[in-house]
Amino acid sequence: MIGTPIDALPYIRGVQLILSGYNGYAKGSRIETDKMVRAELIRAVTRVRSHMQNIFQSQFREGDMSCARAAKQCIEECDYLCEDINKAIAGMEHAFLSGQRSPSNKDLKNLIKHDHNVVEMVTKAVNLANQAEDLIAKADDDSKQHILQTTQLIASCKGFFAARADILSGLRKKK
Amino acid sequence: MSNYKWRDSPDTISRLINANDIQTFANQQVMLKPNEVCVLIVDGKIGDILTETHLKSMAGGFSRWLGDKVGLTASDRRLLFAMSGPMDYWVPFEGQLSNGESAKGFANLRLKMNTEDVPKLLNYFANNAPVLDRNGLINIIRNEVIARVVTPCLASCSSAADLRGAAFLEQFEMTAEIEMRNLLANLGFTLLKSFPITDPTDMEMVQKHRATVEAQTTGTQVNTDAQIAHYAQTEAITLARIQMENNVKRAHAKGQVTVELEHDLKGLRAEEARWDAELNRDKGKMNLRVDEADAKAKRAMDMFSQVQERKADRVQNQNEFQNQRMAAQNELQSKMMEMAADHGALTPEVMAEFLRQQTAQKAVDNSKQVAPTNCSCGILMQPGWKACPGCGSPIA
Repeated sequence: MIGTPIDALPYIRGVQLILSGYNGYAKGSRIETDKMVRAELIRAVTRVRSHMQNIFQSQFREGDMSCARAAKQCIEECDYLCEDINKAIAGMEHAFLSGQRSPSNKDLKNLIKHDHNVVEMVTKAVNLANQAEDLIAKADDDSKQHILQTTQLIASCKGFFAARADILSGLRKKK
Repeated sequence: MSNYKWRDSPDTISRLINANDIQTFANQQVMLKPNEVCVLIVDGKIGDILTETHLKSMAGGFSRWLGDKVGLTASDRRLLFAMSGPMDYWVPFEGQLSNGESAKGFANLRLKMNTEDVPKLLNYFANNAPVLDRNGLINIIRNEVIARVVTPCLASCSSAADLRGAAFLEQFEMTAEIEMRNLLANLGFTLLKSFPITDPTDMEMVQKHRATVEAQTTGTQVNTDAQIAHYAQTEAITLARIQMENNVKRAHAKGQVTVELEHDLKGLRAEEARWDAELNRDKGKMNLRVDEADAKAKRAMDMFSQVQERKADRVQNQNEFQNQRMAAQNELQSKMMEMAADHGALTPEVMAEFLRQQTAQKAVDNSKQVAPTNCSCGILMQPGWKACPGCGSPIA
């Protein structure tokens, strides 16, 4: 029986700071853990989207189309990422009867590390979006830069999340 | 177990069912796909939001019936199913541009529902039928879309051309994002994308008709130009062919003349050659004749020289003979004179006879000498010559 890898514990602790129920794909709760991670990612991205929607609305009404366009672009990136997360592969429950092999210790470590990195990245995006809205409220000139950085982080997160599919796709074929 | 189908049409977006109304002997189950969401509302509370799962024993069945009778289950159980994936909604509109032109078309709204937002559909089902389909949602949002989005955007367009610009699309999308947020958020929808599709306006139809007519006119003009060009080309080809035939005829005639001239030239050259040959021949003949005349003259001169030599020899011989004869005669006469003188017969008569005979002898000797004559060519002819050494004329 494969347990939670010891060297992945720091990452598990890191994720648990944000996601309290996260247990690092312990046996019997892997599907739930996967859903939990995805739900947390969607929640964070939705937060970013809300910030950007506020920025977009205020800047559009004020006639600052440059910032409004940047915020709109960020909103679209958030929608793309949400759709990716919603329709991402989740692995299967009964590995023995399916075409998948059981995950190895290395696979679990990779997944946990990946979850940690994605959650960390999307958290940074949330902070940036929050900061951007704050700067908008303070009429700071750096607001657009923060919006663009948020967009860049969300786009990176989208690409980074796609790597999760690569890890899970390695489980598809039995060795 | 039997599978429950909450969605019987692609246009169905959401359905609210009362689980208590499903009274079947077999338990009902439903498989929720990733784009399907089920909200469990138990006793008026939102219990759970499920997706990507197999919902077993959602309603019906003997155990649930029994539980209801005993009072162990919830008294009110409702299930709210909804599609969470993006769907397109076409909202028809009709408005006016700032110049008075009417514009018709559709506003395309691409909406999705977040899983957590699905319970907001209860706001709709509170006052409407328990099934929400595409037309139902369009009817809800249509007036607001037209009033808040379409009409202001159309009013900002001064002509139909503005409807086709990227700026109008961007303005439409941004306006929809802002103005529709309130309504869509209340219903639990999220606007992903929006864009208008407008039918051609009357002025655009007129412009289209004008463009068509202009295109036809231009096409006719092009055909006419092409036909004219074809005629011009045909004319040029015909003229070129005639010119070519004329040139051929000229060349042919010129060739004939050239041939004739060449023929004449050849004749002349042949005549010239013949003349040259004749001239050479005559020159040869003349040379031969001159050579022959020279040879004759030389021969004549040689003969003349021989004759002169013979003559000189003969004259010398004759002179010698005469001298000898004269000497002999003189000796004889001397002897005779001496004899006569010895015998005393030397008388004057004898002397006179002697002188007379001597004179006669000289006269006979002189008579044998002929006087020279002149030829017609001017050469002095000597006695004894048979022909003139200059002209070769024979001497009679």
